[in-house]
Amino acid sequence: MTKTITIDPAVVRDKATVAVADVPINVYAPNPAAEKKLYGADGLTRMYRDMVFIREFETMLDRIKREGSYEGIEYNHRGPAHLSIGQEASSVGQAYHLTPDDFIFGSHRSHGEIIAKSLSAIAKLDEAALQSIMETYLDGAPLRVVEKFEHASVRDLAIDYVLYGTLAEIFGRANGFNKGMGGSMHAFFPPFGVMPNNAIVGGSADIATGSALFKRINRRPGIVIANIGDASMGCGPVWEAMMVAAMDQYRTLWAEEMGGAPPMIFNFMNNFYGMGGQPVGETMGFQVLARVGMGVNPESMHAERVDGYNPLAVADAIARKMEILKAGRGPVLLDTITYRFSGHSPSDAMAYRTKEELDLWREQDSIIGYRDYLLENELADEDALGGYPDEIVARLVRVLNAAASLDTSPRVNVYSDAIGDMMFSDTPTEKMAAGEAETLIPLEDTRLAATQAKNRFGLDASGKALPKLRTLTYAEALFEAMIHRFYIDPTMVAYGEENRDWGGAFGVYRGLTEALPYHRLFNTPISEGAIVGSAVGYALSGGRVVAELMYCDFMGRAGDEIFNQMAKWQAMSAGVLKMPLVLRVSVGSKYGAQHSQDWTSLAAHIPGLKVYFPATAYDAKGMLNLALRGTDPVVFFESQRLYPETETLVEGGVPVEYYEVPEGEPAVRRSGRDVTLITLGATLYRAMEAADELQSKYGVSAEVIDARFLNPLNYAPMLESIKKTGKVVLASDACERGSFLHTMASNLTQLAFDYLDGPIAVVGARNWITPPAEMEEGFFPQKEWIIDALHERVLPLAGHEVTTRQATSEILVQNQAGI
Amino acid sequence: MPTPILLPKLGNSVEACILVDWKVAVGDEVAEGDVIAEVETDKAIMEVESTAAGTVLALLYAAGDDVPVLAELAVVGEAGEEVVIENEESVTVNEAAEPAAPKSVTEPSAPVTPESVAQAPQSGARPSPRARNLAERKAIDAFALVGSGPGGRIIERDVEAALHARPRLSPVAEAKLADGDYTAPERGSGPGGRIMAKDLVAKGEARVAESDAALPAAPEAAAASPALTPIKGIRKVIADRMLESMQTTAQLTLHGNADARALKALRARFKASEESLGLQRITINDLVLLAAARSLMEHPALNALFRNGVIEQYPTVHLGIAVDTPRGLMVPVVNNAQALSLKALSDESKRLADACLNNRITPDELTGGTFTVTNLGAFGVERFTPVLNLPQVAILGVGGVALAPVEEQGEVIFAPHIGLSLTINHQVVDGAPAARFLQTLSRNLANIDLLLAM
Repeated sequence: MTKTITIDPAVVRDKATVAVADVPINVYAPNPAAEKKLYGADGLTRMYRDMVFIREFETMLDRIKREGSYEGIEYNHRGPAHLSIGQEASSVGQAYHLTPDDFIFGSHRSHGEIIAKSLSAIAKLDEAALQSIMETYLDGAPLRVVEKFEHASVRDLAIDYVLYGTLAEIFGRANGFNKGMGGSMHAFFPPFGVMPNNAIVGGSADIATGSALFKRINRRPGIVIANIGDASMGCGPVWEAMMVAAMDQYRTLWAEEMGGAPPMIFNFMNNFYGMGGQPVGETMGFQVLARVGMGVNPESMHAERVDGYNPLAVADAIARKMEILKAGRGPVLLDTITYRFSGHSPSDAMAYRTKEELDLWREQDSIIGYRDYLLENELADEDALGGYPDEIVARLVRVLNAAASLDTSPRVNVYSDAIGDMMFSDTPTEKMAAGEAETLIPLEDTRLAATQAKNRFGLDASGKALPKLRTLTYAEALFEAMIHRFYIDPTMVAYGEENRDWGGAFGVYRGLTEALPYHRLFNTPISEGAIVGSAVGYALSGGRVVAELMYCDFMGRAGDEIFNQMAKWQAMSAGVLKMPLVLRVSVGSKYGAQHSQDWTSLAAHIPGLKVYFPATAYDAKGMLNLALRGTDPVVFFESQRLYPETETLVEGGVPVEYYEVPEGEPAVRRSGRDVTLITLGATLYRAMEAADELQSKYGVSAEVIDARFLNPLNYAPMLESIKKTGKVVLASDACERGSFLHTMASNLTQLAFDYLDGPIAVVGARNWITPPAEMEEGFFPQKEWIIDALHERVLPLAGHEVTTRQATSEILVQNQAGI
Repeated sequence: MPTPILLPKLGNSVEACILVDWKVAVGDEVAEGDVIAEVETDKAIMEVESTAAGTVLALLYAAGDDVPVLAELAVVGEAGEEVVIENEESVTVNEAAEPAAPKSVTEPSAPVTPESVAQAPQSGARPSPRARNLAERKAIDAFALVGSGPGGRIIERDVEAALHARPRLSPVAEAKLADGDYTAPERGSGPGGRIMAKDLVAKGEARVAESDAALPAAPEAAAASPALTPIKGIRKVIADRMLESMQTTAQLTLHGNADARALKALRARFKASEESLGLQRITINDLVLLAAARSLMEHPALNALFRNGVIEQYPTVHLGIAVDTPRGLMVPVVNNAQALSLKALSDESKRLADACLNNRITPDELTGGTFTVTNLGAFGVERFTPVLNLPQVAILGVGGVALAPVEEQGEVIFAPHIGLSLTINHQVVDGAPAARFLQTLSRNLANIDLLLAM
C-alpha cells in the first residue's frame, strides 16, 4: 500500500488480454568453436573432471551404503545419503561461472552441488586466499587432517580439503564442515558460497530469497541460487518465495540506485521425480515446469527449460541470467532437466519407474556424452580425460580413510554440553556490519521526539491513571527500541504485512515510514512462510532483521520456517552462522478463534528459539532492545491487549535512554508472603487484581511474578518465592493443555517439592476455540479463576464462594472429554 | 554485633546434648577458644569453646537442658549491647489466614460428576510436604491434625494452628519431642503452662517424671531425708534405654558354660611371656571377646540389628564392650573385631575402656555396635541376664570361672568352667539358633588355642 500508486478504475475495468512472455525450451545450440574460445581447453576439461569427481564421490557413498566398503575400506554409514548420480552436468554447468560471492542454497540431494561449486571456487581463488580460508575455517580443523597428505600445490590441497570436509560432515564428524551437526542433507561451506542445504523440500526457496535480499539491500556482490527439486513446486513456501522475490516495489518504490530486484534464481533441478511421485503426468499439472514463471510476473520470471544433461547449456543459461539479475530485472526461474540413476535413497526399490526408462537415460549419460563431444570436436585430449578416474579414486581412498577413522575424525562428544553450547551464539552486537545506517531524517526529527516527550509512567503521584494519549504506551515503547537499533545497525531491516505506511497493523512502526528508506522497511505479500523464511536467509547471510507476523495465529502458516529453519541453523552450522532474527508475533484477542490464540508454548517447545513475552511498557522496550542487540533467533510475543497500555508497575516508568532487561529473569511485580501467582503475558494484570482481592477479602498476601521469558528462564527467583509461600498458581492466556505453564509447574515442583503446601495449580484458557469478543471472559483466565483455583486446589479461603469451575475433579472430566 | 555461640555438632550421630554446666556467667569476659560450657552427649562429656571474644551477654539454656546441636547456646558481644533473641517461628504466623473449618469450603456451584472424589474430604488425609516438614521441625504429629486444605489435605496453616494451640515448649522439651518418642500434654508445669521436658509422656506410657512425686510415700518418713539426685546425662540415657529395651523386646536369656582349662592355661602363658612381646596384659575376657567375634561369623543371625521392622545382618562384627565408669555404663565399639589378632583386639578394647574412664571417648566410638559383650565375672557373678543393647538382637554376659564336674575317661573330675549368659531378642531370634551359637562359642573357648591358630 502506498499513496504513490493509484488504482484507476478506468484502466483496471478496461477490456484487454494478458500477453505472456514466451518460455524457451532447450535453446542452447552447441558451437565448438565458440565454446573453445569461451571456456578454453582447460575450462572444458575441468568441467569434465568435476563431473567425474561427483560421479565417483556419489558412487563411493553408494557402495558404502549398499556394500559397506569402497576400494577395500570398510565403513558402516548409518545416516542418510541422497545421491545425485546422473545429475552431475547440472551442478557442474551451474557452478562454472559462479564465484565465491555467488551463493547457492540446496536440498537434501546436494553433494554434487557442494563439490561442483567448491571446485569452481578453488579454480578461481588465488592460493593465498585458499590457504587463508582453510587456516581460519573451524580454526583449521579439517585442514590439519588433509595437509598431512602429499600435495603438488595449495589448489591441489584444497581439493582434498573440500572432499574431506564434506565427507567428514556426511559421517557426522567434528572435523566436518559443520562439525557433523548437519550431516549429508545439510552440509555446506560458506567461504566458497556453498550455503545451507535443506532437508525440507523447497526449504531453500525462501531462505535463498532472503539471502538475495541481503545482497541487494546491503549492496553486496553476487547472485543467489536456490537449487530445489521439481516436486518442490508444490510447496506453498516456494510459491511465496517467488512472490517475495518478484515484488513490483523493487522497481516502483525502492530507490533506483538500489539496483532493482534481488538477484535471485529459483533453479529447479528437475529430475522428474519427487521421491517416487511424478510431477509431470501424475502429481502436478504444469507439464513443463518453467511454465509456472508465466504466472508470476510480466517477464515470466525469464523462465526457461535448460538441458541439464549438457554442462555447457547450463553454464550458458547461468551466464545469461546473471546479466539479467545484475540489471535488477530478476527473479529468474530455471527448469534444469536432469535425471538421477541412483534411487531416491538407498532404501529405494524403484517401484515407480521401469528399467527401460533408466536405460534410455543411461544411454545418454551426460559424462559419456560430454566426453564424446569434447573428443569428437577436438576440444580436449583423450589422455588428459582418461587420467581423471584413477586420480580421483586415489584422492577418495585417502580422504575416506581419514573420514572413516574415529581417531583422525572424532565425533563431537554428545555426552558433554558441546551441542548445547552451539544452540545459541549469545554474542550481543551493536551493528552486524560497519558503516552508517541509511535513514531519511535525523533521529531527533522522528516520532521519537514525540514519544520521548510523553509521560513515562502511567500514574500520577496519587496513583490515578494519566491520559493515555499523553503517556508512553507499550506500542510506543516497542517503537523506541526499533528506531534506536535502526539508527545504529546499517544491516537492520524490518518487514511483514502492512509494515510501511500503516505502521504495522497495530501502529507499532508508526513514524518509521518517514524515517527509513523503502529497502529498510517494506510491506510483503501475505506470505507468512516466506516472510520468516526470507528473514532466516537474511540473518544467516549476516544482516539483522525483524520479521512480523500480524497475529500469533499465523505462526501456523510459517511453521516450517519458525520451527525447522529459524531455530536450527545456528546449531546445524556448528556456530558458523548467526541468526540475528527477531520475529515479532502479536497475540490477539476479541477476533475469535483464528485471531486470539497465545501460542508461546509452541515456540518454547522447539530447541534453538529464544522466547520473550513482555507484559509492561518497560519490558516492551527493554526486552526488544535486548533481542535486537542479540544474535540469536527470538520469537518476540506481544499482546494486543497491552499495546495501548502505559507503564503502571515499574516505578519510574519507561526510561528515555537505552536499557536492556536481563535475559531470562522473571520480575516480581508485587511482594507477598502467603501465595505466589506467576503469569506470562497480559494475564499479569488479572493476577494483580486477584492479588488485590485476596488481600482485601481474605487477608491473603499474594506475591505476583511476571515470568517475562519462556526461554531462557531463570527459575531461581520463582523458587525463592515458593520457598516462602509454598502455594502457587500459574496463569496465562494460552490454552491449558500443553501450555508452557505445565513445564514451569513440573520444574518448580521438582525444585521446590518439600516446600509445597499443595500442588502447583495451572490456570489456562479453556481447551476450546476462542469464542467471540463478547464471550471471551468465559474463555480466558480471569481474576475469579485464579482465586477459585487457589481456593479449590491449594488454600481454601474462609467464606469464599466459587463462581467458576476450578476443582481438580474438572481436570479428570475435561480431559476425558478431550476439552 | 552480638555473636551467637552455637552448640557444635560433636559427632556424626549426635543430635542433641545435655548442658551439664556453664563455665561462664553473664557479664564474664571470654576469649575465642575459652571453654564456656560442658555438655554431655548420650555417650560422653565434651567441652564447648567460645567462637567469639567479648562479654557474655546471654546464656540461652540452663544446666540440665537438652540442647539441639547447632542451636544458639549463648551470645557474646560488647558489654551493654542489646540482645534480640529470635523467638520461635510461630510468632510469624499469618494471623489473617485463620484456618477455615472444612464446612465453610463451598462446593463448586457447577455439578461435579459422581466418579470424582477429589473434593470430598478424605479419611486418612495426608499432610502437604510443607506441612509435614514444619510439623517435623516443631514436633507436631501432622497426621493427627484435621486438614483444612482441599479434600481435607493437612496444610501449613493447620500445623501453624496446632502450634498456636499448643503451649510453648521449653527448648529441651521441643528437642525431645522432635525425637519422636514423646508426646506433649496440653499444659505443662512451666510458667504460663509452658511444657517442660519433665512434662513429656513417653509414647504408650504414663507420664515419666512428674509421676515420681505421686508415688506411694517412700521410706522418707523414717530416717533422715534421702539423697536426691535428679538423673541426667548418661544416667538418664541409660535409664531410658534400659527401660525401652525391656519394654519393647522379647528378651530370653540362655545360660551355659565353657571348659576354661585352655583359657586359663593360655592366660598363664601370656602372663609368663616376655614383656617385650606385649602379651602380658591379655586377659581371659580378651580371649572371650575374640572367641565371641569369631563365633559370630558362623551365626550371622545374632550379629544383627532389629529396627523399624527390618532385620539388618552385618557381615562384620562391631563388638560392643560394656565398660563400668563412675558416670555409668558405657559401651565403646571395637570395629571389625572378627578380623583383629588377639593382641590387636586386646589393645583396642583397653584403649577404649581407658578412654571411657578418662572421659576422652568420642561419640563416634560409642556407636555402630552389632553385638555386645558384658563381663561381671570379676565380681563373682556366675550367670546373669544381660539387657539387650538396642537395636542389637543379642548380648553375651560373661560370668566368673568356677569348678564344674566333667566326666573324662569314665571318671568325674572337676574342671574350671566359665559362665556364659546369652540374651536374645526372641522377636527375631529363636532359641535354637541362639543355643547353637552358644554351643559354637563354648567349643571355641574350650579349644581357644586351636581357634587362635586359625
